[in-house]
Amino acid sequence: MSAAHTQERQMSSDGNPYRPWPARITSILDLTEKEKLFELRIIDPEIREAFQFHAGQFVEVSIFGVGEAPISISSAPSKQGFIELCVRNAGDVTGALHKKRCGDVVGLRGPLGRGFPFEAMKGNDVLLVAGGLGIAPLKSLINHIHDERHEFGKVTIMYGARNPSEVLFRYQFDMWRHRDDFNLMLTVDESDDAWDGEVGLVTKLFEKIDVDPDNTYGAVCGPPVMYEFVIAEMRKKNMDVDKIYMSFERRMKCGIGKCGHCGVGHQYACIDGPVFSYWEAMNLQGAI
Amino acid sequence: MFFRVIDKERLPDLIAGLSSEYEVVGPVEKDGRFVFAPISDPAQVRLDYDTTLLPPKKWFLPPKETIMRFCRADEEVVDDEVFAPPRVLFGLHPCDINALLLMDNVFLEGYVDPYYKARRENTLIVGMSCMPTETCFCNVWNTDEVHWGFDIFLTDLGDRYYASLRTVKGAEILDRHVANRAVSDEDTREFQRVVHRFKQGFNNNVDTTQLPVLLDAKFDSPIWDEIGDACLSCGACSMVCPTCYCFDVADRLEPDQKTGLRIRTWDSCQFKEFAAVAHGQNFREDRASRVKYRYYHKQWGYLSKFERVLCVGCGRCARACPAGISPVKVIEALQTGEVQ
Repeated sequence: MSAAHTQERQMSSDGNPYRPWPARITSILDLTEKEKLFELRIIDPEIREAFQFHAGQFVEVSIFGVGEAPISISSAPSKQGFIELCVRNAGDVTGALHKKRCGDVVGLRGPLGRGFPFEAMKGNDVLLVAGGLGIAPLKSLINHIHDERHEFGKVTIMYGARNPSEVLFRYQFDMWRHRDDFNLMLTVDESDDAWDGEVGLVTKLFEKIDVDPDNTYGAVCGPPVMYEFVIAEMRKKNMDVDKIYMSFERRMKCGIGKCGHCGVGHQYACIDGPVFSYWEAMNLQGAI
Repeated sequence: MFFRVIDKERLPDLIAGLSSEYEVVGPVEKDGRFVFAPISDPAQVRLDYDTTLLPPKKWFLPPKETIMRFCRADEEVVDDEVFAPPRVLFGLHPCDINALLLMDNVFLEGYVDPYYKARRENTLIVGMSCMPTETCFCNVWNTDEVHWGFDIFLTDLGDRYYASLRTVKGAEILDRHVANRAVSDEDTREFQRVVHRFKQGFNNNVDTTQLPVLLDAKFDSPIWDEIGDACLSCGACSMVCPTCYCFDVADRLEPDQKTGLRIRTWDSCQFKEFAAVAHGQNFREDRASRVKYRYYHKQWGYLSKFERVLCVGCGRCARACPAGISPVKVIEALQTGEVQ
């Protein structure tokens, strides 16, 4: 395991890892009908400065009176002082968060878990595959790669959504479509008249790419059903099992390896993951 | 380790002495069974108990515990102090002491759980030797012996106790509260005889050979469906288990709707919602997958992190299970491929 792919342990200021830090919502962007992008700043300046993370790590968002929910960080670690969270209105906590306004305060714990092996990926091509809300953690990695673009070879991004109205981060991807340093491919299951991208499952996009298997890292995140099919395509391109990384969604409740809810195989998604290599995931019974 | 001997009839002196400085929790009878409860009179203590209904874990990880009080308006924590009175847990058997050592790995390694830690630090442990019951299988995991994790350990030699003193505090307390003398060669010989008798008393000798390999190799075995069909998902096994530590966290608002409590309660991986995520996906929807997960985590997941299995062979789950599922039966089924 590379040094970069290790878990971070960060405690809250008083040594109680269950105690959230108050953080202010400094921007809210409506992405789709169900998803909003929140920008948060931890209020205590010392803790805000100490908050260093890796792409693929997550935070526990706390709203007192409702509870906590694990949300992956969407902004790049290269951007300091704030974090962005792409949140789907899907449960009690995320529902309450969607009702918050700019300037409101919520609680934050983190950064938690093990992210993508960014340092190990340097010097290689990177193939990123996202399905649906799976773009949220990959966005952090994509933007981090962007900020250190010269460190990487060919960068290919495949992103599939159900339909054009559910494509997240359109504002960024529309601008990136004509860049030659990112091979960006968007696809939707069902198109509409205005859509001029690909139509079909994200796995279909593999027909359009060449992969140098000795020199390519994969990063995958999407709904549970997606992994098996995307990995099959990556294996067809002869990518190594230990160079494909994937982020798992599980019920991370405490986020620090105590409460047991996010158990996957013999590991906990919250401290051993949520990012695992495919080799590790194959060894986790019931993971894929 | 240092050793002293105390006369059996002087033991109440020790309990009474401890009661003057600590809250003493020990095994007492309740409706024909035994529980760990606070004691007010040394005569209540039943050191002949077989096993208790609930393990001592509740004195470190209470079934329900407020971890913080909060104010909603500014999302501020107003209080997260831990209430941990000085306490003695008296009369713990080796399995239960070993179970606390396994819990320590979870709560004191990596991120430290301040609530568990405060109670652990404020609690003295006085261990007590035992004899195997029908459901005991601590011999299988070598948790029938304990060499640390206590302040004093008393081995019953009939008319006297062979006291092992692990900590300075334990040695001081023994000396302060009860008449004691040096250990003679004959005392140590009798200690060996007693321990030998104890080791002969087990009737469960389940074969645990290559258990992690079997768990992986037989992950899709039909034995899990059979065991899952029998399981009622009641979670009793987790509640009575001295090493099950999973919990849930929920907020409760006070009547003023402005302040509230964040509360954690015992939870069980056997409950259907345990691994469900927000938009409806449940990673262990059927009973078979949940029973399997429990064994998988205890006998392999925990082992892969801490080099021990997360079971001490106390047999409480075997006694509590209304469907008659026990670790001994499950491991035998894995070995033989048949559920007996």
